Amino acid sequence: MQDLFAVKYSYLIPLLPLIGAAVSGFFGAKWLKQQSHWPIWLGVGASAVLSFALLLGMFQNWDKGEVVLRPDASSPEATREGHLSLSVTSHWYEWARAGEQTVIRPGDSPTLFTAEAAAFIDPLTAVMLCVVTGIGFFITVFSKGYMAGEAGYFRFFAYLGLFIFAMTILVMGENLVMLYLGWEGVGLCSYLLIGYYYERPSAREAAKKAFIVNRIGDFGFGIGIMLCFLIFGTVSFYGDGIGTITGVLTKAASPEFYNGLLPWQKECVFWIPFCLMLGAFGKSAQFPLYVWLPDAMEGPTPVSALIHAATMVTAGVYMIARCSTLFAGNHAALVTIAVIGAFTAILAAVIALRQFDLKKVFAYSTISQLGYMFVGVAVLAPVAGIFHLVTHAFFKALLFLSSGVVMHAMAGELDMRKMSGLRRVLPITHVCIGIGCLALAGFPLVSGYFSKDDIVAAAFSFHWALGAFLLLTSFLTAYYTFRLFFRVFWGPLVVPEAPAAEHGHDSHDSHGHRHKAHDDAHHNHEPPSMMIPLIVLAIGAVFAGYLNWPEREHSLGAFLAKSPSFILGDIVAARDPMPGFTPHGFGLESPGATAQPLFTSTMILGGLVAITGILLALLLHWWNRGLADQLARALDGVVTLVENKFYVDEIYQAGVIEPLRMCGRILYGFDRFVVDGLVNLCGWIPQLFGFGLKLTIQRGYLQGYATTMLFGVMVILVIIFLR
Amino acid sequence: MTELALQHYLAVGAIMFAIGLIGFMTRRNLIVMFLCTELMFQGVAINLIAFARYHGNFAGQAFVIFVLVIAAAEASLALGLVVLLFRQKNTLDADAWREMRG
Repeated sequence: MQDLFAVKYSYLIPLLPLIGAAVSGFFGAKWLKQQSHWPIWLGVGASAVLSFALLLGMFQNWDKGEVVLRPDASSPEATREGHLSLSVTSHWYEWARAGEQTVIRPGDSPTLFTAEAAAFIDPLTAVMLCVVTGIGFFITVFSKGYMAGEAGYFRFFAYLGLFIFAMTILVMGENLVMLYLGWEGVGLCSYLLIGYYYERPSAREAAKKAFIVNRIGDFGFGIGIMLCFLIFGTVSFYGDGIGTITGVLTKAASPEFYNGLLPWQKECVFWIPFCLMLGAFGKSAQFPLYVWLPDAMEGPTPVSALIHAATMVTAGVYMIARCSTLFAGNHAALVTIAVIGAFTAILAAVIALRQFDLKKVFAYSTISQLGYMFVGVAVLAPVAGIFHLVTHAFFKALLFLSSGVVMHAMAGELDMRKMSGLRRVLPITHVCIGIGCLALAGFPLVSGYFSKDDIVAAAFSFHWALGAFLLLTSFLTAYYTFRLFFRVFWGPLVVPEAPAAEHGHDSHDSHGHRHKAHDDAHHNHEPPSMMIPLIVLAIGAVFAGYLNWPEREHSLGAFLAKSPSFILGDIVAARDPMPGFTPHGFGLESPGATAQPLFTSTMILGGLVAITGILLALLLHWWNRGLADQLARALDGVVTLVENKFYVDEIYQAGVIEPLRMCGRILYGFDRFVVDGLVNLCGWIPQLFGFGLKLTIQRGYLQGYATTMLFGVMVILVIIFLR
Repeated sequence: MTELALQHYLAVGAIMFAIGLIGFMTRRNLIVMFLCTELMFQGVAINLIAFARYHGNFAGQAFVIFVLVIAAAEASLALGLVVLLFRQKNTLDADAWREMRG
């Protein structure tokens, strides 16, 4: 493992996109101009090749892993002992060191802080890297055609490279601080790219909203990291190695360590997952903090595909999966995540039912699918969660890029009420988006089907209500996805009038693409540079599910299950099982073997639900569109509520933003009148004194000054001689 | 008539200083005021010389040479300034520059 090229030179994976970003950022404006995509293509492409080399290298070393022993060897359950974990730490350099090592007695705060810049490479990291760089590469290829002719072309690509850098740091980081660095880096890039069209007020507002909402989550995450350092005395995930009890996660898995803690420290250990969870909810757009993601669609569409669907928003899922050990033994935290995930899934799916903007529909479906992933990690099936993350990255990137093609062709128009029957205009896109929709809906034997039903099955084993909620969400997902598909691509051909978007129609133009004059009716809407990524992603969206085919020996699930995070998480979960729930999703003992009947039944059920949803959409949005409108009129009140997204934004405005703004005004007044008043008073006293001097002594007569001086000298002399 | 004693020298120095001071206080002409400051300088210089002679060492003389050199340098500078001021307002009246007060 150590001597794999991609492990030895692991720093190249984040470094190459960063160099690319620097080159196109610094040289793009003047020299590269419309060629600015080259540094990013090369950088991200090379980093993708390295990532795949890493993945293949790890596959070759399948059996050469390190045995993870139970930290409590005295436990009678010996069957789970000795799983092979596959991991390696690639040291780069020491990043930070503060304080000195002293002997720590129980209850003392740690005195030495070190953070190493190093990569912790295990199957989870390798899979995430391939998703980030692989899909990232295809999206940069797509962006060339999509962004062609934009004024900020180089800026776009520089941000994209920076994003890939930050995201690879996030998934490779050996410790929580590096994870946090990448976490904030992707947040920054997200902010910059949402605000890419900064001359448009709505884009600026959306960028600020994304950044500020994420601050709330990151606050919790930051506190969580500090608590980790306070309790565990380190921020490294695994410290000196998997077998030693020196890292956060290995310490968290060790009962000896836990039993040696003082009561207040145990209390902290209980709250750490909740702090981390808050960060995950912000970044991955879960219930209380999801509001930024739909607005983030203001950014250019490739950005929506890469950052706000495929990679960045899944960082929260990655983080919880990485820290499984911290979460697995904490039942309250698991239940919280499961409930919030399921609630978000269904809430976002309901909202998506009455959205008319293509990208908004997909944004809400992203939120909903992220809810699935959270349920997956919460019901101790992180392998299923990560598997869904991978397939979702494929089909959601595909869907967003396809809607980008639609927008490109329709001169920035995205309202599905204004278009119909586009399959005649955009045949390839039609097929691609159809595949994406099938995958998202969970149609049998397409990628989303496998991953989603893994999660649903795991949820059923957790609690039947959770599984039922997810099944209902699957039904809604299938329905709204195909509502969009049938509305936009089937039926009579209706194309929005291009000039409407041309002449000062900024509101129609609101989604990222200001299209150039659209005079050429025979203009090729499907240039190869945009179609090739689409086709590749479509192939991925169909076949990604087979990566985890249960019968395969070297399946994705079995590979992921070699991650020490999952093995330790499984050990922790087995030591302290939740009543009435046997986790099966870690996939440690021949995945699918024990839970096969359950899997089969939910697979059939899930497939049926998806097909029902698709048929309903077919009926209402292709067969008889009038019926859908009638139905909407009949349910007027509900429809209005849903169309306004349950007024969540308005509630936040009235309940959070306005009080805060009021508070700000009061503080401003205090600052303005009380603090400034005191400061000005201090300034007034010498001023008054000086004014007095000006009237009496400093009158501008040289003789006057001389007299004053003489008088002063005489006073001094008198004092000296009379003393 | 006795020999010249220390107090005679001191008296001359004090008188020169007083004349300079009075001149400075009463006249408005910049050049005259400048001359008066020079007069005060020389009064002080005579004092220093007298004490040097009285004590029989050269410390006072060294001081005086210093003072004279500095006075010469200062005189060239100050005269230049006076000329400039004159060019500005076509007058040597010090009161013409009253607006310069802080």
